[in-house]
Amino acid sequence: MAQAVTTPITQNILRDGLILPRTPDPAAMVIFGASGDLTARKLMPALYNLALNRYLPSGFSVIGVADTAISEDEFRSRVADAVQKFSRTQPVDRAVWQSVAEGISFVRMPFDDDGEGYRRLAAELDRVDRERGTNGNRVFYLATAPQFFSVIIERLGASGIAKAGEGWKRVVIEKPFGNDLKSAQALNQAIHTVFTEQQIFRIDHYLGKETVQNVLVFRFANGIFEPIWNRRYVDHVQITVAEDIGIERRGKYYEGSGALRDIFQNHLMQLLSIAAMEAPPNFDADSVRDEKVKVLKSIHPIDVATDVVRGQYGPGWVGGQEVPGYRQELNVSPASNTETFVAVRLKIDNWRWADTPFYLRTGKRLPSRASEIAIQFKNPPHLPFAKTAVEELTPNWLVMRIQPHEGASLKIAAKIPGPVMRLRTVNMDFFYGSSFMVESPDAYERLVLDCLLGDATLFAREDEVERAWALVDRIEAGWASQPPPAFPSYAAGTWGPPEADALIDQAGRRWRRP
Amino acid sequence: MIQNHKELTARTFVDVHAIQEELDQVRWGLHADGGGSEAAQHAAAEARASVCNLIAVVGNEPELGAISSVLDRLSITNPSRTLILLAQHTREADKLEAEVSAQERTESGHRVTTERVVLHAHGEPARHLASLAAPLLIPDLPVVLWWPGRPDFDSPLFNDLCELADRLIVDTDEGFDETDLTRLLGVARRKTARASIGDLNWARLMAWRHTAAQFFDMPGMLARLAHIHGVSIFHGSDGSTAQARLLGGWLRSRMATVGIDVPLELRPDDSHEHGVCRFLIYTGGDEGIARFSLKRLRGNRLLTQIRLGDQDLSPRTVRLESRAAEELLGFELTLPGHDVLFEQALDAALR
Repeated sequence: MAQAVTTPITQNILRDGLILPRTPDPAAMVIFGASGDLTARKLMPALYNLALNRYLPSGFSVIGVADTAISEDEFRSRVADAVQKFSRTQPVDRAVWQSVAEGISFVRMPFDDDGEGYRRLAAELDRVDRERGTNGNRVFYLATAPQFFSVIIERLGASGIAKAGEGWKRVVIEKPFGNDLKSAQALNQAIHTVFTEQQIFRIDHYLGKETVQNVLVFRFANGIFEPIWNRRYVDHVQITVAEDIGIERRGKYYEGSGALRDIFQNHLMQLLSIAAMEAPPNFDADSVRDEKVKVLKSIHPIDVATDVVRGQYGPGWVGGQEVPGYRQELNVSPASNTETFVAVRLKIDNWRWADTPFYLRTGKRLPSRASEIAIQFKNPPHLPFAKTAVEELTPNWLVMRIQPHEGASLKIAAKIPGPVMRLRTVNMDFFYGSSFMVESPDAYERLVLDCLLGDATLFAREDEVERAWALVDRIEAGWASQPPPAFPSYAAGTWGPPEADALIDQAGRRWRRP
Repeated sequence: MIQNHKELTARTFVDVHAIQEELDQVRWGLHADGGGSEAAQHAAAEARASVCNLIAVVGNEPELGAISSVLDRLSITNPSRTLILLAQHTREADKLEAEVSAQERTESGHRVTTERVVLHAHGEPARHLASLAAPLLIPDLPVVLWWPGRPDFDSPLFNDLCELADRLIVDTDEGFDETDLTRLLGVARRKTARASIGDLNWARLMAWRHTAAQFFDMPGMLARLAHIHGVSIFHGSDGSTAQARLLGGWLRSRMATVGIDVPLELRPDDSHEHGVCRFLIYTGGDEGIARFSLKRLRGNRLLTQIRLGDQDLSPRTVRLESRAAEELLGFELTLPGHDVLFEQALDAALR
């Protein structure tokens, strides 16, 4: 017979030793933009794979919302096809999918519906709570065009859906979060009328990438790097997000965005933050984000004329294929001055990084796809080897590759065998793939699960987003005061305009060729 | 991703120094172009990757092929220096044969090479294979001993290898009876030749343990954990009970940490022949009676159900991975140090 309890149970002791995240509460995820590309390519495959791996709770439900003339069965069929096509694990397990599909429903309505549609959504949520035990726990996922963010939030508030009853409520917002500081602040303000900051999850899928998280582990779980991770030993840092593709079919979006808003404001700022931040006291959301924001706050005011270079690709050759220039792309003005390349020199005014330049660049139609954080260390002050001058040495580089070939490399000098003291540079490589040859989960799986668990560590906070936009605004304002750029300024398939080389060359440095 | 996986060299030796020399050659790629050029050395150094020394003990020659295949596949996720020991005590003539080979694969454009030594000993050398294995290990890497069948716990070879190893991995699904389980626990607890123990059968239970734990993650369910008053585990009708014992032992050992002794019932189930088929947890207390059930379905799936009083909550179907030996081994290789939970579960299963 069972004995009396001698120790009170305050946590799930059956979870001890299980190297798996805890299970989220049963919840309903309302996806606005349920008939869109993001839902098909990313969200539904992510939810299926979470279910497959037992990460979703019993009763988890999805309510798709879109103004598309389809029935609930047609919606289920569409998302089933999407999972079949885009799931990273194949073949799709029909029984597991069936278990997920039982919790999928659809509400057709325009996002700015002024009453009836949101009442039907509320009724559907009530049904799900009642029949599937979701207890009022809700995630509102805004997978829509940005112009609908505010109106959906406002309607969710006005209809009472965002606050009704018991259970937690969270809202996930895709990038771009605003178009400049003013619009980001306005959007934050609009959201805050309905949701508190703790309820808001701003997605930058870069943070869901395993290798981005590994940068934090690399820095803070190894005792050998942090002592030299500072101005005393680091000559400069280069952060690159290079794409070999053009704008594909996104001309309309890109014309209003450019490289500055599309990549610099979010992905590059995130990589800068995690490369430069101090060690957080722990890995909870606010501790990590506090440290990231401190980096953004410490950025020295930039002089746009001397610290920023923009460019736009012209026709050229990439990967053996002739490609058109930006101005010849679909839905792009033939006189467009939208930048497809940005390089920025930043300095961070704190004790760790004072006077250490950070060079950031991103561009489209560059020779190869590469995202990396590269740190060049200072040369040794003196070399005892008579025939080798310090200047002849290739500096030590530590490169953390985000994609592709995820991993890290350390470039070091070594003696060439022989009677003469000759030095040569060799690479010590760590390949994430060959050390952990397991398939990494998609970034969306990690981020959706974190949202369901209420962990916002890998999501951008209000002040983070606004700091990044403030920097972008400063650059935009600087550009506005300059004469129109002479675009195109670099041929597709090259590493950007010559001015980018000049930006870094001022101190005798050179861009890496990743 | 992986583009190829091929055998580089396979040469036979009888002397430990010759084996060591050959391993060095293989490791640093000197065979690649026949001369050991600087370029070849550089390329090989870039491609080197090892997470551990893995020693596998094979009972007879027919097993060698199957074990080699498992280790081939394991090397994709856990590149290691692998020693396969085949000890045959029954032959009269003393004899020692060794074969050194390397496997190469290309992953994301980079070459990764791992090495393997097969040591085949007859007669007296078979009793001292551990002394031959020791100098062939890569320094500073953990030594994992995989014993695929039922070990002879009294054999000097077993004990010598346990002394060499940081971790012993067995598969209690290989017909381990109560005595074997007791001896296995003894390996983890003895003062000398003590290795941490791992069990592929325990690794197979991960999905059962995870899903059972999830029941009590649900809102309002944690309080019921303190009122577990019984557990029933249905196992295959072929008579193998080790897996069911371990699952029951796991729950009992966890509940023992809060002073609750949970009665355990093991019963055969005719619907499946092997392994755990159903796992039922019964709770009572102020919250009312409840039954939490996990049921293995055809096609490697688990059906989870909760009944609160006479009300059934939404059932859920999840994947019950049928993992190959190399995947289970790979998982065990990622565990650092002693698997305290397993040892506690094993202990509770035997009480």
